[in-house]
Amino acid sequence: MYLRGSTKPRLEVLKMTEYDLAIIGWGAAGFAAAIKGSELTSNQMKIALIGYGPLGGTCVNVGCVPSKFLIEASKNYREASHPSYAGIKASASIDFPEFMESLNNFVSTEREGKYTNVISNFENIDLYEGLAKFIDKNTVSVNGKEIKAFNFLISTGSRTFIPEIRGLTNYYTSDNIWNIQKLPEKIAVLGSGEVALEMAYAFSNFGSEVHIFNRSNRILKGFDDDINSELIEALRSNGINFHLGVNFHEIKEENRKKTIVTSTETFTEFDAILVATGRISNVEGLNLKAAGISNDNGIIVDDTLKTTNPNIYAAGDCVRQPLKLETLAGKEGVIAVENMLGGGRTVNMNEIPWVVFTEPNVASVGYTEYELKKKNIEYSVRTVDLKNVVKANILKSANGLAKIIADRDKKIIGVHVVGPNAAEFIIEGVYLIKNKLTYNDLIDSVHVFPTVGESIKISGQAFIRDISKMSCCMD
Amino acid sequence: MTKTIELRIYGMTCDDCVAHVSKGLNEADGVTDVFVSLKDGIAIVKADNEIKPEDLTNLNVFKGKYKAQTRSVKND
Ligand SMILES: Cc1cc2nc3c(=O)[nH]c(=O)nc-3n(C[C@H](O)[C@H](O)[C@H](O)COP(=O)(O)OP(=O)(O)OC[C@H]3O[C@@H](n4cnc5c(N)ncnc54)[C@H](O)[C@@H]3O)c2cc1C
Repeated sequence: MYLRGSTKPRLEVLKMTEYDLAIIGWGAAGFAAAIKGSELTSNQMKIALIGYGPLGGTCVNVGCVPSKFLIEASKNYREASHPSYAGIKASASIDFPEFMESLNNFVSTEREGKYTNVISNFENIDLYEGLAKFIDKNTVSVNGKEIKAFNFLISTGSRTFIPEIRGLTNYYTSDNIWNIQKLPEKIAVLGSGEVALEMAYAFSNFGSEVHIFNRSNRILKGFDDDINSELIEALRSNGINFHLGVNFHEIKEENRKKTIVTSTETFTEFDAILVATGRISNVEGLNLKAAGISNDNGIIVDDTLKTTNPNIYAAGDCVRQPLKLETLAGKEGVIAVENMLGGGRTVNMNEIPWVVFTEPNVASVGYTEYELKKKNIEYSVRTVDLKNVVKANILKSANGLAKIIADRDKKIIGVHVVGPNAAEFIIEGVYLIKNKLTYNDLIDSVHVFPTVGESIKISGQAFIRDISKMSCCMD
Repeated sequence: MTKTIELRIYGMTCDDCVAHVSKGLNEADGVTDVFVSLKDGIAIVKADNEIKPEDLTNLNVFKGKYKAQTRSVKND
């Protein structure tokens, strides 16, 4: 249809662009972007979704889903074999291969339901299996096939960083631990971030003797000391042994048993070693230079997720950013596509909740004291021991704390909880921060009694009164 | 001086959509000529030189069902 014009325009620019969007990586970020792009364009955006390994990437296959299944089952086993209440006697046994088969079946079902079946509804999305490599700013090659696109999203995720330790071979990571058939009697976990702590916790619940080794003398990098000590204490009482600040000398194996030699001690008789020493972005092999994209411990993006090439965005674990989360990857995938189509959305890392699914959970959103001190930002903080929270006592799980950080205008800028079920209620902290509410707003909101979530309100009350002189449920 | 801006338009499904998008573009300040193709999902817009591509992609007509993305800008 022409309006006013007389000469028919030439369309060569469009013809050489085979796809409107090519997405490299079919994990949480890639899927979210592909679906959002389709929705925003009435399925008219022609999309190439490129990846390798099972659809869905890390979270559903080897990350959040199997790890949370493992943790919940292990808690169930521990509670069944060690009931917490007086007068209740029980015992439990485990058929580990049968349990692992059920875990892997669950993963397959979730993958089918949330990824394989979902993507089959989109005729505008073509799947390409293989490793993508940029040839130039508009072209990637996948198994020798050239795919041209106008827009690109890189969402290639991350993988376990493997430290250089002499003799470190024949180990598990969170990629292959799901094939383990025999419950290890004794397992060494290298690392002390969230993945290491969660896996250690699950194996310890199942009855394995668990030893955590870490080069740093801290757990959970960047977290405040009170949170870390509370968690270490709880995990120690769960039976986990911590060896922090160690210098690895070598790892030896004899008769299928592994020995870890540090500069000061030797630890023997491990049936398995799990390496969980942090994660690094998957960018090698992408030939980012050919596309004009800068990378430094992750792809560098501006706050709209645009890389150093304005037609190429990046989202999820491959981005240089402090948090690596499924929820963040999904959100960023969506935002990247919206921004490609003219949006100007950004992600505020201070509103992203983050959880370690041990028991107690560590759940956190917003600034830590550590960050505020580093940035020289004025704040005030109140911390409440969970022994002040009736539901935590009922659950016999009062090892923990709730901590609220407020700025000088009383606005809440950080909420951190070590406590049972904290993953389920940290969202309150997200709303408080996102909506710039003060501790007075928090106190004014009636919470359910008895819940562990009440701990957030009680920490808020600690700003205005002595909570030891307060009766139950008063404002 | 004028320039030619090629836009990829998403969301058009019928001639009414084409008319709607064309009207939106035509009514924009500085636009002198508009061609919209339903089959290719594109619009080719001739506009005064001071018009920026974002002035077109941010038009109200692209805030709902239709989305526009700049594909090329050439000085005439
Ligand atoms: C054990 C474990 C437990 C976790 N638990 C949680 C949790 O409870 N909650 C939570 O929010 N997060 C959790 N996470 C983090 C979460 O899994 C990740 O943040 C999330 O999966 C990242 O998604 P992504 O799309 O960025 O990357 P991925 O899901 O890793 O997807 C990347 C994809 O890119 C592909 N790829 C890589 N390079 C190329 C290439 N060159 N060409 C083509 N394809 C390529 C990969 O094959 C993969 O399919 C956990 C992670 C682990 C390891």
